[in-house]
Amino acid sequence: MEKLRESVALKCLCYVLIPIFFLILIISISGVYITSQYGNSNENMAQSFVDSETFGEQYLDSIISEVKYIKNNYPTNEEETSADYFRYSQIDVDNYDKKVYYKAPDYYYNSVLYSYISYIIIDEQTGNLYTNIKSKDYNNEILNVQNQKIYWIYENQNITTSIDSVNQDNVKYLAATNSYYSIDNLENMKVYTWLSEEAFNYSNYFVIQQTIYDFFQKSPNAPAYLIFITTIALVAMIVYLCWAIGHEQGKKQIELNRIDRLSYEILFSVVMFIVGLLMSLVVLSAELRANQKIIIPVVLLEYLGSYVAFSVLFVSTVKRIKAKQFWHTFAIYRIYNWIKRTIKYLFEKITDKGNITKKIIIVYVLFIIISIILVGALGSFLGFVLLMAFWFGTLYLLIQYGKKLTMIQNALKEIYDGKPDVHLNEEELVGVLKRMAEYINDIAGGFTNAIEQSLKSERLKTELITNVSHDIKTPLTSIINYVDLLKKEDIKDAKIEQYIAILDKKSQRLKKLIEDLVEASKVSSGNVKLNIERINLKELLNQAIGEFEDRFQKKNLKIDLDIPKTDIIIEADNRYMYRIIDNLFSNISKYAMENTRVYIRLQKSDKFIEVEMKNISATRLNISADELMQRFVRGDKSRYTEGSGLGLSIAESLTEMQGGSFKISIDGDLFKVLLKWNIDT
Amino acid sequence: MYNILVVDDDKEIVNAIEIYLKREGYNIIKAYNGEEALEQISKNEIHLIILDIMMPEKDGIETLEEIRKTKTIPVILLSAKSEDYDKISGLDTGADDYITKPFNPLELIARVKSNIRRYVEFGNISKKESKNILKTGQLEVDDETKKVTVDGKEIKLTATEYNILKFLLKNKGKVFSISQIYENVWNEESYGAENIIAVHIRHIREKIEINPKEPKYLKVIWGIGYKIEDI
Repeated sequence: MEKLRESVALKCLCYVLIPIFFLILIISISGVYITSQYGNSNENMAQSFVDSETFGEQYLDSIISEVKYIKNNYPTNEEETSADYFRYSQIDVDNYDKKVYYKAPDYYYNSVLYSYISYIIIDEQTGNLYTNIKSKDYNNEILNVQNQKIYWIYENQNITTSIDSVNQDNVKYLAATNSYYSIDNLENMKVYTWLSEEAFNYSNYFVIQQTIYDFFQKSPNAPAYLIFITTIALVAMIVYLCWAIGHEQGKKQIELNRIDRLSYEILFSVVMFIVGLLMSLVVLSAELRANQKIIIPVVLLEYLGSYVAFSVLFVSTVKRIKAKQFWHTFAIYRIYNWIKRTIKYLFEKITDKGNITKKIIIVYVLFIIISIILVGALGSFLGFVLLMAFWFGTLYLLIQYGKKLTMIQNALKEIYDGKPDVHLNEEELVGVLKRMAEYINDIAGGFTNAIEQSLKSERLKTELITNVSHDIKTPLTSIINYVDLLKKEDIKDAKIEQYIAILDKKSQRLKKLIEDLVEASKVSSGNVKLNIERINLKELLNQAIGEFEDRFQKKNLKIDLDIPKTDIIIEADNRYMYRIIDNLFSNISKYAMENTRVYIRLQKSDKFIEVEMKNISATRLNISADELMQRFVRGDKSRYTEGSGLGLSIAESLTEMQGGSFKISIDGDLFKVLLKWNIDT
Repeated sequence: MYNILVVDDDKEIVNAIEIYLKREGYNIIKAYNGEEALEQISKNEIHLIILDIMMPEKDGIETLEEIRKTKTIPVILLSAKSEDYDKISGLDTGADDYITKPFNPLELIARVKSNIRRYVEFGNISKKESKNILKTGQLEVDDETKKVTVDGKEIKLTATEYNILKFLLKNKGKVFSISQIYENVWNEESYGAENIIAVHIRHIREKIEINPKEPKYLKVIWGIGYKIEDI
């Protein structure tokens, strides 16, 4: 099948056969026409032709035009008899008493039947005779006219003729519709005309018809068969070509060549121009009454030339359609595309460069100008329709713009909500929006990366700190133990005892510091598994106060507790919740001024649960709340007291991890911590 | 005279532990890695092992697994790893106790004593068991004599503390909030006495527990209440 499709020989055969078959088809059709026109006998063919109205009209036309020429041009006086412009020339004839003018038959017209009409025209007023035959005795010729097979005579206002279509009655009727055929044109003239049957052999038209007629006369059924066969063959070949065109060996797709890439309009015009040129050649040669030797090659050339031109158009059209490029090859489509691209390009230029305000102004001014132009054209209905279309178009564009803005806004919201894995399709957008989308995609990508990076580095940090802490703890164990052993030795020297006390204190602090450090890094990197359950904050606070009772008492701190009677239930991890309170209470027990009150308040409203702790600092807090929150910062910058400085940071991380907020504030020596959990309904 | 095997790759720590435990009258056998420890166990009669986890070659957990194949000697793990996860996996492997470095010598001694007492008295369960004895693990409350003992050692409690402990021990395994404890012990409604109970419970814990911050018997369930562990 593919071989059949790609066969070059078969295609060439088709290209050759098509014009031949087509020619046969045309001839066959004309054969049918001619047969129907002139019947079946050879005799009737010429007679029927003579009997046809066309023949009569042409015959009469030729005569009248010749008479008119003579009337308008024959010389009126002696001097002009030999005038150059008059195509007749005077000849001497013995037995005719008046002048005789002769003109040879026109060679120009020699393929046209009517140029073989012989005539003798006599001007009744002058008695002059005009003719295209040479004779010794014109009177005798005139008497013989009626013996001719085809003749037409006008004499004494009467027509005598063998041609029925232009007899006396029919000419009157003919003249009524077209004054050209009026007998009045022949006034004062006697006209004797005849046409010998031999002349028929000189007429192309007649000869062709005669040939076709003769051909089909021998086999009367041939045209029907030929029409049938050639039609089927032509259809088959054209269908085959449609199917096979463009498929060549070794090529998977239909490839367009230079001709196929030409604009379709141009190709079409060129083909039509060539065909028109060839046709006009034929018409011209027919006009010029060229003889058979010229006209047959010209017609053949026209036929083949037109065939080639149409074939090129046909092949190219089929290829374009099959390659799905038909509309795309239209110049109009290309122009449309170019305009579209240019407008888009210009639009991008306008919307991409410079500041946005400028762009808005440009677009707004354009809108106003176009609107004004269209309003100016409002007089017509078209103007109104265009204005409406423009306004609705603008509205549509604005809505589209709005949708795209919403898209960008949603993407930003996603990022804001902490879901940075958004991606906008930049190709859908133009101008400013496109750039915004690009930036957002970049930010989103950067965020995602940064979050992953920081999570990873936090985890690594925690691991590092945990591992390092293990390595520190082992030697620290020895330090603490041997210091403890030293303490138990019986030492007399008070100085040494004091030194040992310092070592003891500092090594204990180091221990605490390491523990807090590990916890802080774990908590701040979120490396903690929460075990959420319903717990009673009131119970927790009471338990915590119980735990710290002795430490508060040591500093004589009075606890002012403001707790509701009802239970305060919260969803949290109870151990981490206690860690928060433990850290805060331990800060209070360490840093609150002795003999002061500590205010602890637990409160619940419809929207939140609050725990507030207030105490008076023993030392001046010359530090901001923010600084205090940072890791390793303690109320006194000297780092002299116990503690790691991580307590608040751990408490904050744990509070936030459990959905709360952690706020501290400093007012003079008043130190305040506020824990708050929003209740979502 | 009880033999205690101390295993740690840090010689100074082993020496320090030796000093503390010798004062308490124990005989110390030292080992500096897992292999040595197993060798010592096969050679000597050991009553308790103090085992470091992080050691080169054979670590503490692997050594413990080896020991547990043949012996039921109490093992106290000693480690710088202080995560819950580490403690749980250690205890699951068969350790009896877990102490984190840096440790408090007093706590170490207390835990050693407790474990030895339990191990030695294991099997010859108290014969004078009366109906009025409430018990969990090594914690006993004799309601007839009002005596409280942990690992056989008598503990002195105030009357309030005793009543609270008795109530919780009677309902061991169950969690009670402060007000429930108050209502049950005093038979009246609590009005702002909450943190008094919390203080009492802390005192009890300080008396009966080796490390009150990591109690074995009287557990604090933060934000919910207290309970006596059913061991």
